[in-house]
Amino acid sequence: MTLLEFADVHQSYGEEEVLDGISFGVDRGAVEVIIGPSGSGKSTLLRCVNRLTDIDSGDIRLDGTSIYARDENELRQQVGMVFQDFNLFAHLTALENVTLGLRRVRGFSKEEAVADAHDHLERVGLLEQAESYPAELSGGQKQRVGIARALAMDPEIMLFDEPTSALDPELVGEVVSVMRDLAEEGMTMLVVTHEMGFARSTASRLTFLDDGRLVEQGPPEQLFERPEHERTGTFLRRLTELHGGIDR
Amino acid sequence: MSAASTVRGRVVKVTGGGLFRWLAFGVFWGYLVVRWLYQWVGADLLGMDPRAPLLPVETFRTLATTWDGTRIGGLFSFLRVAGDALPAAVTGTWLTIILTVVAMAAGLVIAVPLAVTRVYGGPVTRWAALGYTELIRGTPLLAQLFVLYYGLSLSATLRELPFVGEGFIPAQAALVAMIGFIINSSAYQAEYIRSALQSVEVGQLTAGRAVGLSKLQTIRRIVLPQGLRYGIPGWSNELVYLIKYSSLAAFITVPELYKRTRDIASGNFRYFELLVVAGVIYLGLVLSASALMGRVEQRVAIPGLGE
Ligand SMILES: Nc1ncnc2c1ncn2[C@@H]1O[C@H](COP(=O)(O)OP(=O)(O)OP(=O)(O)O)[C@@H](O)[C@H]1O
Ligand SMILES: [Mg+2]
Repeated sequence: MTLLEFADVHQSYGEEEVLDGISFGVDRGAVEVIIGPSGSGKSTLLRCVNRLTDIDSGDIRLDGTSIYARDENELRQQVGMVFQDFNLFAHLTALENVTLGLRRVRGFSKEEAVADAHDHLERVGLLEQAESYPAELSGGQKQRVGIARALAMDPEIMLFDEPTSALDPELVGEVVSVMRDLAEEGMTMLVVTHEMGFARSTASRLTFLDDGRLVEQGPPEQLFERPEHERTGTFLRRLTELHGGIDR
Repeated sequence: MSAASTVRGRVVKVTGGGLFRWLAFGVFWGYLVVRWLYQWVGADLLGMDPRAPLLPVETFRTLATTWDGTRIGGLFSFLRVAGDALPAAVTGTWLTIILTVVAMAAGLVIAVPLAVTRVYGGPVTRWAALGYTELIRGTPLLAQLFVLYYGLSLSATLRELPFVGEGFIPAQAALVAMIGFIINSSAYQAEYIRSALQSVEVGQLTAGRAVGLSKLQTIRRIVLPQGLRYGIPGWSNELVYLIKYSSLAAFITVPELYKRTRDIASGNFRYFELLVVAGVIYLGLVLSASALMGRVEQRVAIPGLGE
């Protein structure tokens, strides 16, 4: 069953058409991995889903209703987002990063929020660091707090925008493993990543974006072994050389 | 813990120069407080003249005459003049402090929404906020005080109010000055805070919005707590400026520190001595203010924020 659907989405900045008619659906529980060269519109596509960017034309539907027919803040609560450079609230501890949304968006009492936040921090293995400030955490720990913060809003779908690109190689594994657990628990995920290990092992489907267009889409094996388009093959070969196909 | 060590490292830096500094602050504030208490309640209870100097001024006078014409004699002559002037100067200092503190505090209350409007407001409100800050920052403070005091009949209106000038409530001229300083300081503080708000990373706002916080919640819960911390150094500057600029109130007859010492000097012609008295007190206030703001900065410091 389709949870998220892009219907002929167009988006441009000035003259530049960044998304040029994107249409596809993401099934509930699926892990959709999006790849593509820099500037191909991957981040823009994700930002459209929670309306950080508004599209020019077309529609995006979540659970059958247009995201434009919903309350903006409610939509954002239902769509979790994880950022490349973490964007943890710098003045709040790990715990407070998670409780802020619980209290102010979901209306939890302080005690409820703290209890729930503890659960989420435990889920990403960071209960010990609950009282640490972002600056006191490693990159991998920051990103796991970022994931806990998004999960605490009880989203229907999670968006990941290159969640491991800013990490030292040895820290990628801990974040990927949390994401893999999430996938196994049935979370619907839209993931922009160049982490080919994750793509091969966990993606339900791989989507190759180039120049604002959807070039090719299919199960990871198919795109890796028998891509239909020359461009897909070249891009994937280069990625694999750069980031390795090692399953972490 | 890295957090504790950074913070503690800074404590050491701020208190560096240690003992002498604290001793000087102790004497300075000790004298001020004793003097105020004496003037407000002590003299009454003891049945003494509230304007009587607490220092042995008569002894200074005798010693000055004894060593007349020598350096020692000059020193005691200075001490006598200063000692005589201190009661009035200290009374004026109270007003200087009140003017500064009220202007800072009330100015901040106005400056925060002003700065938020400048950064996040709509085109019209943003323009209005910009107009206000530029008008205030672009004209001399003294001119603003004159407009309030002579131009508008503010002082006459204030005089009508029953409580003005009674007990701890300053007289109308001081209230006019206070209003002027509040307006002026709100514009400068808004400017400091505006630039502090703008130095909050865009990603912080994006993350707030992505969690589902409204724009106002994001500003209140994320931008302001970070921005106001970034703003503390600028804010300390403003406090120091304000302590010194409060002397302009003398030109609209407010008997604050500068006016008190200037009036005494025009009576006894000991301009140098009285400038030294005023200068030392202003210096004491300014140094105390920066030490205090340093303390505040440490108190609210968060590891990794604005370092
Ligand atoms: N706010 C913006 N204003 C103007 N142009 C923008 C804006 N955001 C993105 N763009 C442009 O849109 C295009 C697509 O950007 P986007 O960030 O979606 O690409 P991407 O695929 O995520 O790239 P990368 O792999 O580098 O993150 C780029 O050419 C970029 O310069
Ligand atoms: Mg991107």
